[in-house]
Amino acid sequence: MNKFTLVLILISTVCVHAQDLDSLINLSAFTEESELQKQLNTATSVASSKALSTRETPGILSVITNEEIQNSGARDMIDVLRLVPGFDILQDNQFVMGLGIRGNWGNEGKVLVLMDGHYMNELLYQTVQIGNHFPVDAIERIEIIRGPGSAIYGGSAEYGVINIVTKAASTLNGVQVYGVGGIHSNAVGRTNAGVMAAQHKEKLSWDLSIFKGNGIVSNSKNFQDLYQSYDAQNLSKTTTANPMNINFGLKAGGLSLRTMYDEFKTTDPYAFSYSKNFFSDVRYDLKVNKKLTVTPSFRYYRQLPWSFGNKDPFEYALKSRAERAWGQVEGSYDLNRKVNFNVGALYFADKGTDLLEGGAFNGNNTLTLNNFAFFAQGLFKHRLANTTLGFRYEKNNRYGSAFVPRLALTKKIENFHFKILYSKAFRAPSILNISEALTGEIKPEKTDAFEMELGYQFTPEMLLSLNAFSLTTKNVIIYGSSGEGDTFNEWYENYLKSGSQGLELVYSIRKSKWYTTLSYSYSQAIDGNTVDKYVVPQTSKQYLGFSRSKIAFNSSFKLNDHLSINPSAVYGSKRYGYTSLDEDGNPQANELDGYVLANLFLNYKNLFTEGLNIGIGAYDLFNEHPAIPQAYNGDYAPIPGRSREYILKLSYQVNFKK
Amino acid sequence: MIRKYLYASFVGCFLFCLSASAQTTNHAAYSLFVVNFAKYASWPQAGTDFKIAVLGKSKIYEELLKSTANKNVNGQPYKVSQIESASEIGDAQIVFIPDNKSSNLDEVVKATAGKSIMIVTEREGLAKKGADFSFLIIDNKLRFDINSSDLEKRNIKVASSLVSIANSSM
Repeated sequence: MNKFTLVLILISTVCVHAQDLDSLINLSAFTEESELQKQLNTATSVASSKALSTRETPGILSVITNEEIQNSGARDMIDVLRLVPGFDILQDNQFVMGLGIRGNWGNEGKVLVLMDGHYMNELLYQTVQIGNHFPVDAIERIEIIRGPGSAIYGGSAEYGVINIVTKAASTLNGVQVYGVGGIHSNAVGRTNAGVMAAQHKEKLSWDLSIFKGNGIVSNSKNFQDLYQSYDAQNLSKTTTANPMNINFGLKAGGLSLRTMYDEFKTTDPYAFSYSKNFFSDVRYDLKVNKKLTVTPSFRYYRQLPWSFGNKDPFEYALKSRAERAWGQVEGSYDLNRKVNFNVGALYFADKGTDLLEGGAFNGNNTLTLNNFAFFAQGLFKHRLANTTLGFRYEKNNRYGSAFVPRLALTKKIENFHFKILYSKAFRAPSILNISEALTGEIKPEKTDAFEMELGYQFTPEMLLSLNAFSLTTKNVIIYGSSGEGDTFNEWYENYLKSGSQGLELVYSIRKSKWYTTLSYSYSQAIDGNTVDKYVVPQTSKQYLGFSRSKIAFNSSFKLNDHLSINPSAVYGSKRYGYTSLDEDGNPQANELDGYVLANLFLNYKNLFTEGLNIGIGAYDLFNEHPAIPQAYNGDYAPIPGRSREYILKLSYQVNFKK
Repeated sequence: MIRKYLYASFVGCFLFCLSASAQTTNHAAYSLFVVNFAKYASWPQAGTDFKIAVLGKSKIYEELLKSTANKNVNGQPYKVSQIESASEIGDAQIVFIPDNKSSNLDEVVKATAGKSIMIVTEREGLAKKGADFSFLIIDNKLRFDINSSDLEKRNIKVASSLVSIANSSM
């Protein structure tokens, strides 16, 4: 073959087949994604500095989509989180519903809740009030780390992270109004409504959401708490759970601003508890070059957290302002396609101010904390495993320092994936943890966490994953209180050790017309727990208020293009709660039966016109209304669970023209 | 009796699950790339068949059989074979090394030294270690690196349009 012929062949080949090459560069390296895989392959950065798919991200993860929330008819975050492996809802005090995770009480500083990047844990105690608080119908997705997140998120994420992303802040290009009504046989359970508008364009994006609601904590008609000094109460008349949230975001180029006002008012028969929280965040993503992005940010919080007191006569027992000013610089550097580094430094100052001027902070009217922190993470992708290596070092002028390293190995190999995770985590003492320290000194909690997950995708639509965990916490920060009224006293102290071990099994199947997620969670208390407030005399294997086993089932069946039927259910095994008094008048723990919460919701999309959706259903079909025990021995009887609640949901969305 | 049915159902379901395939490597895409490497390159001597040898067992072998059946390149009908070792490469124009045989690259390079045989590897990064093409995945898309200098040594000419879509050329 001479050179001329060769050139002719090459030229003709190029002309004839040029179109082949164009199509080649778009070929996927993997077979076509099923509905389940689309969900699993969605990149998430909640557990890493760089976005990775759910099966490779360095954390035990649950992702809940807007579709799943809407289909299930979830009334609030309690309904959403009950379906998530490892999560449970228990009572704090004053009828506040708080979070339990993997068999541990986690409401004070152990589980971080973020909404559009805003830390929802208040600054005085680091709690989150979860019942009828968050606008579930405005949520686009929830990314949950069912394990420690301190190396990334700091001292409020010792056991878990719940990252809520609203629809307005992410995908909405139009206006949506929505409302939910819940009715019990004897009371109105809730009336919540919201409106959101947003426009997302390449150069300029904005969003605005407003949410307001009224609800009750329980509809029990004749509740008598043996440990509180009030008469039998009709809780549908004496308890409230009223949320309000205004959320605004603006993004122009690399500059973004988010500001939020959040309010939650709840009452038990005797006391009120109000929280108000203003937050603002400005950040700028400076793309220095293709590989390096530097993000300076500034945040400001101004709150009135958990202001409480007597309802009648109305009188505050605690009314303190908490403020936080936060400055941070973070850099993300892609060394190459397989190596990413993320480093940052931050400083924040917390200030508590007693507005009653009663010396709420250890006799003083103000208390100031100064913190600085450094963090770094490296992500190294390799064909055998992705390695995440990182740490966070935080130092506080009052309680000292915490150093939390983290190591994760993850990989998806064809149908199989594995995750091996080790990290230390910490809970930073909050303003009141410090000022109310029993001994005048409080240390940060520190946790050692080992986790391992194995998963296998049997078919494109079917995934089974199993994880095991071990959490050992030292210097556990525990709340204590005594007395009533003028003699009421509360304090914090470090206990030596607590924690849990267990496993979680998740089976998911997702077809075009139906899906099911079935999960089983098991947890048990570690040997050597020293926190007596968590202990019940009947067993050392589980803590007060928690089930050892939980089964959650969530499913949806499309009957046609408009109508779907959506059953869901939660089974919790037996628990223990303080429900009686012994001969000496001391609280006595008793067994609470296991329960099944079965729910059914019907959804009709695009009724009469596109964008108009209606849903009706019932929560707790069998009317079991399981009680909500207090998670520690704190002189509150279990709150009677709310009975069967009939739900009506309406929403209407109009999209802007593109 | 009911328990037996339940067990049988469970086992049946499990076996069904195992028999089905999940989202996995798109071997058909690899095969399509290899066929296009053949189309967009020219070898100094043409034989009666255009031979592609796949080292060891790999699903790409079946995919290559499918995508080349009853087809030819520049008048040469494709002939795809599976070989067990580098000594069986013979006068193939292309040898494909699947991921699980990547450790045999050195052996293949030695066995084909000075010959006009194109070495294609499934594993990323091997174009730097003696292969002529090695695949890689970027954002779930299949791409390739090309070792132009080795191809030149082997006297295999590659169309510039193919080089232009490579992730990197060395």
